[in-house]
Amino acid sequence: MSDTATLSPPEVASPPESPQAAVAPTPALPPTMPRRRELIFGTVFVAAGVAMALLTLIGSYLARRDAAGAAWLADNQLALTQPNMQMLTLGMSVVTMQWAVWSICRDDRYHTYLAIGVTMLLGIAFVNQSTFLFKEAGIAITQPEGPLFYAVTLGHLAMVIAGLVFLLLMAFRTLGGQYSSRQPDGIGAAAVFWYAGVALYAVIWFAVYIQK
Amino acid sequence: MTLTDTRSSSDTPPAAAGSLSPTALERVIGTGEHEAIGRTFIMGSLLLMAVSAGALAAGALRSLSNGGPLDVTDNLWNSALVGMVLMGAIPLLLGLAICLIPLQVGSKAIAFPRAAALSLWTWLVSAVIFAISLGLDGGVGGADLEASRLGMLSMGSMMVALSLGAVCVATTVLSHRPVGMSLARVPFFSWSMLVAAPIWILTFGSTTAHVFLGQISQANAAGLALRYEAGVAWFLRAPSVYMLAIPVLGISCDLVAQGCGRRMARYGTVQAMIAMFGVFSFGAWTQTSGGRENILWIAFVVLGAVPVLGLLGLIADTLRHRKPVVSPGLVGVLLAFLLLLGGMLAGILEALNTTGSGTLFSFEAAGLGWAQSLFLLSAAFIGGLSALSAWSRVVLRASAPGAIASAAIAAGLIGGGLLATVFLIQGLTGFGLNLSFYNVWVAVAAAVLALSALLGLMLALVTSRGHARQPASAGAAGLTLEWAQDELSPEDQALVLRTIVASPYPLLDFRFTGEAVEEDK
Repeated sequence: MSDTATLSPPEVASPPESPQAAVAPTPALPPTMPRRRELIFGTVFVAAGVAMALLTLIGSYLARRDAAGAAWLADNQLALTQPNMQMLTLGMSVVTMQWAVWSICRDDRYHTYLAIGVTMLLGIAFVNQSTFLFKEAGIAITQPEGPLFYAVTLGHLAMVIAGLVFLLLMAFRTLGGQYSSRQPDGIGAAAVFWYAGVALYAVIWFAVYIQK
Repeated sequence: MTLTDTRSSSDTPPAAAGSLSPTALERVIGTGEHEAIGRTFIMGSLLLMAVSAGALAAGALRSLSNGGPLDVTDNLWNSALVGMVLMGAIPLLLGLAICLIPLQVGSKAIAFPRAAALSLWTWLVSAVIFAISLGLDGGVGGADLEASRLGMLSMGSMMVALSLGAVCVATTVLSHRPVGMSLARVPFFSWSMLVAAPIWILTFGSTTAHVFLGQISQANAAGLALRYEAGVAWFLRAPSVYMLAIPVLGISCDLVAQGCGRRMARYGTVQAMIAMFGVFSFGAWTQTSGGRENILWIAFVVLGAVPVLGLLGLIADTLRHRKPVVSPGLVGVLLAFLLLLGGMLAGILEALNTTGSGTLFSFEAAGLGWAQSLFLLSAAFIGGLSALSAWSRVVLRASAPGAIASAAIAAGLIGGGLLATVFLIQGLTGFGLNLSFYNVWVAVAAAVLALSALLGLMLALVTSRGHARQPASAGAAGLTLEWAQDELSPEDQALVLRTIVASPYPLLDFRFTGEAVEEDK
């Protein structure tokens, strides 16, 4: 036996589980490591936690609204035009976000920047629309519906703003040459977070605004 | 010329480099090294576990001195229970995971090391704030409004921090594995943490939302207490409380295989059972009382016992085939299974009580609920202590003294077991905890549990401060990659980490194929 195999206590020497495991010459690693997708996995977990928090808030909102009955938001006007436009805006941003992912996977940097820019523009438009909606609805934080309404809507707005910041950081990193078709994880991770935000808004749009 | 990531040593004069070297405190606070982060998590959790269990004992003594019944609605009791879970058991397991899992999957670092450090310091600061708020009559359900707000906020902050740590651990398992180590070949502890992490993240996401609601709703102290009872306390009841014990299943399977020096049979089945237990421990849908009084809840609680019993059978089968090298860690984790089974039993009894709607049985649901929490909490804590003892050569870089390890585990078993048993008896018999005997029982049991945590802390400190390193042959030889740095020469370590993993036990494979690998090299 050679010098390196010095740690072979016979008492632990049970046979390998399969003939394949006992294949003696183990080849070395290939020169190129496989893609790790670390950022994408991390983003999925974070998005899941945020989604769970928002879904819990929406559930609490619905339970309280159900208990209050017709008195819920009786003194406020929640027009549907604004939420519909917001849903449409975020829906369009899904397409542009996927455009960015598609472009970076093909090393089309010009279209990647363009797609990220348009997505961010749509996101900023959503933030603007939200502030307009809050002003129009005139729901005070002190009224019984206020804390839950703002917990749901501002919670989601915070998620969209976090998505915008994430996207901006990834855009700068792409600009610095960190992401390409060989390593598009950053853009992919930002897209995952963005899609989660859009999906959650779809729930809010239906549960809070359509079924008001 | 392109600037490389690392400057050559000739760029910086030696004197300047020396003056910029960080102090010990700066090294601890600023480190992104997963082993340092994990060790700090472990030691902090053991200290805070002792504080929380001490608060529980103080609550029982307060009831005794007042001459009244044991008041489990007292904020000291609820806060102590929350503290033992969020400041003791979960951080202990998370610290072990942060320390061990990168090594188990053959990685030099954890995923997102800065996030892991952020998780540690946020948790530690929040835990201290929670303890302070409890001292000011706050915590959860306290009478002082400001202190209660602080207590709820710090509790939510701890949950977010622990979730962040769980993200780092799960991402490490998913993305840092070496070539050949598919998910079907990751060690059981890594697998169990991969199952536990999403459950923790989802559960704490939901409870944090209620903490947030409590903060913005401008509730008074009573309202905050109600918010805790209605929106947060469910995670301490079945089936959610089962999530505490998921890593214990992985720890036990790894330690049994290592103790016996042989592979666990039916590797995939064991993984499937751990995953199944994880699925049945997801209980965010049981937040309302209606959610706990239906057939789905009963099914979740009862079916959760199936994978535990199945794993027990597979572990017994492994132990039957080869006599294990007995160690405090192995014995401790097997006895933790008893506590786990006690928690499952309490849950099943509550499920039967719900099925009978008080006609077939007339158990006390509150007592059974407390019994579930305390059994599962104790199982998680003992599992963590056992893992710390068994993996001490990896985690603490020296062999743990067997006497201290045995004393810590035994005290934990006695304290946790006694504490949970009194509530199991109360749940079954319905007595009102109004006898001073029970106050004394609970106070003594909680004090023994606190002693166990202190002994665990002593174990960690004594071991990490230079207890003599024992040769690898002193205990059972490691089978998985985390033992490579302890048992192999640097040359062999490099060789093992460069080879394609061919089974869940790469070190065992290496012992068989080492000669051939050497020839190949």
